Amino acid sequence: MIDPITGNFYGYIPLGDIVFYITDFSMIEFIVALFFTIVVYLTKPEKQLESQINNFGDKLTTVSLEELKIRRLMAIVCGICTAFAMLTGDLFDYALFLAVVGIANIGIVSAVRKSWVLNAAYNYGIIAIISSLPLFGAAALILAKTGTLSILELAKTYHDIFYQKMIFAVGMVGETGIAPFYAAKAEMFRAPGAPYILMIHLSSLLIIVRTAEILLTIR
Amino acid sequence: MDIVSFLFNKTIIVGFVMGILSLYAISHNKSDLHMLLLSDLVEGAMLVIIAAIGTDLAEALILPGLVVGMAELLAVSEVLIYKNELKNRAIYKNTSSKKSELLEEFIAKRVSHGDITFNKMEVLHTAPKFIAVILVIYGAILTGFTGGAVIASGLLFYVLSQTVLGNGISLNKLKYSCESISGFSGIMWSFWILFGFIGFFLFPQKYLYFLLISGCALALKVGSKLGLIGRLISETKDK
Repeated sequence: MIDPITGNFYGYIPLGDIVFYITDFSMIEFIVALFFTIVVYLTKPEKQLESQINNFGDKLTTVSLEELKIRRLMAIVCGICTAFAMLTGDLFDYALFLAVVGIANIGIVSAVRKSWVLNAAYNYGIIAIISSLPLFGAAALILAKTGTLSILELAKTYHDIFYQKMIFAVGMVGETGIAPFYAAKAEMFRAPGAPYILMIHLSSLLIIVRTAEILLTIR
Repeated sequence: MDIVSFLFNKTIIVGFVMGILSLYAISHNKSDLHMLLLSDLVEGAMLVIIAAIGTDLAEALILPGLVVGMAELLAVSEVLIYKNELKNRAIYKNTSSKKSELLEEFIAKRVSHGDITFNKMEVLHTAPKFIAVILVIYGAILTGFTGGAVIASGLLFYVLSQTVLGNGISLNKLKYSCESISGFSGIMWSFWILFGFIGFFLFPQKYLYFLLISGCALALKVGSKLGLIGRLISETKDK
């Protein structure tokens, strides 16, 4: 049934209508996402050594954990939602997890209190709001055409849902796929105490790969 | 063919056209706040597409879509408010906040909106009475818990808009009306539970009367209680 793309199919966890299904692929991604979430939880913020102008003495700036608690919380939420998005077997549930990841990304980027970073967070937020239209709209169109939202059901026979899948991919790209670009634009890697931003990259990467797998599984 | 299937294609086209037109409107705007408000219009287009399906599953899917839209809107508006605060703080301190404008050519839409203050919008003068009356009448017709919530939102809207405009209620009148409203709400509670619910169990043949009593009493109870909270809010703001 799901063999060609994802490896062995081990089973599914039925929580009512929404099932979580376990294959080789989803298990690996789930474990990777959880592992990095635990790493984020245990990481202390990094210290920075800034070189000064007209002076050979370097300045050491440290950031305490209390200032960064909000960013750590957002990064952990992002990691947990990515991990569960890797397992889910329902299209609308997946779209909801993507939206939460988008909001957590806005939270991570906007926790820095500089005006250009807040500008980048605002632009990303506008694009995330706009791209929820193709995301949820495509899930609704797939429901209308085939009568089901469950990935296991959609994989069984051929329904002609090519254009709906295209719109779904566009929605995914706008919601979480472009987050690393905004993080780089805001030059957040140079801000002091910034290890939590790597969760943006991890979530975006895993979600793109998982979306490709879903769109190849449903026919 | 029933009406839902007949209108399905047209509804989807309307939804997508709404989305594209609002994208056009967003691209024409120069101010952050207007871009944010118009992006909420895209959320409305998403709800149109979800609702076009017309089954009960689609109805269950509308609520998460709404919640997601609201959450994203709240997050981005927090960012906007904080950005405005930072700018005002920088201007107040007289430091130049435009020192390092990296990648400036990508930040095209600089704000020309000015301060985000909430002074006396025109609609706050004209809308409250009308909308409050409409909501109270609709809630009274609905009855039950939903009707009570609708009545309460109408009253709350009226009280909050009067508070924003500065026409609060004086303290003496408020003390009396507080106590009378809470007394009224308590009497409605007793009607709902004692005469309504327990009547169902004691006299099941006459269920229709008890149904009507409990529905109307519940609506009045919930409506007056939340209207009370609104008055309390306006009272504390007046102090």
